[in-house]
Amino acid sequence: MTEETELIELLKQKDRAAFKNIVDTWQNMVYNTALGILQNAEDAEDVTQETFIQVYESVSSFKSESKFSTWVYRITVSKAMDHIRRKKRKKRFAFIQSLYGKNDAPVVDPPDFFHPGVSLENKENAAVLFKAIEHLPGNQKTAFVLNKIEGLSYIEIGSVLKVSDSAVDALLQRARANLKKILKEYYNSINKEEL
Amino acid sequence: MKDELIERKIDAVMHSLDGVEKASPKPFLFTRLEARMQNERSVWYKLSAFVAKPMVAFACICLVLIINASVILFSDTKSSSLTQTGPELATADEYSQVSATIYEFENVKP
Repeated sequence: MTEETELIELLKQKDRAAFKNIVDTWQNMVYNTALGILQNAEDAEDVTQETFIQVYESVSSFKSESKFSTWVYRITVSKAMDHIRRKKRKKRFAFIQSLYGKNDAPVVDPPDFFHPGVSLENKENAAVLFKAIEHLPGNQKTAFVLNKIEGLSYIEIGSVLKVSDSAVDALLQRARANLKKILKEYYNSINKEEL
Repeated sequence: MKDELIERKIDAVMHSLDGVEKASPKPFLFTRLEARMQNERSVWYKLSAFVAKPMVAFACICLVLIINASVILFSDTKSSSLTQTGPELATADEYSQVSATIYEFENVKP
């Protein structure tokens, strides 16, 4: 029995030390993925906590058919997507309220996101790229983040998203094409001096 | 000229995440996680979370509407059944069940 399997078995018995060990081992992976998708440190922390609570509560349903990390990635992605949906719903509701004069606070776009792992010389460019990533459809965004920020292979992304390697390849190609299109529109709209 | 500049810029932006380092959450995540789990285990938290579910809220509204509608419908049928029928009046006469009115209290026998 490997150490990971042993930890999972202990977690199924709701062992606190095993849970702490699992959190300590996978917290960076979960947080980094959530941060890449959500582009907000507080939201990423929130989703990280939600992910580990889900892991703790539903570890008995983990059947070892996939790797434990894949299962955790899957929960993280699904929680992050739920969070985006919830936020969009709240934003829409706030907008409707503002139309009826109940909430006078204007609906503002979040400021540029600066990933803490990006080097200083790439900071500005990465902020522009993250802004463009925000406009990608769900699956393309997830595949791109898992590939670029988490450094997962096509096979690993495929098992997280439950699609084939070729489907991942197609998703990433479409994501890159869409990003280039968004960036082209953005740079065409600004002055030459600002480039 | 501008197109070339844009192409170069897009290329730089697309490669800006190359070699990105992994971000870490703030320290003591497990302590915060335990505190949250403790809080979420409380009965009041579970109850408020259950009531706040859109489906539950919608079901509650439906229930209130159904109760309202049924009260209106049944009160109509009951008010129509209040009129006394023949046999009921005969029984009342036989047992001297005369309904007392305010006028009778004024004519109290000595």
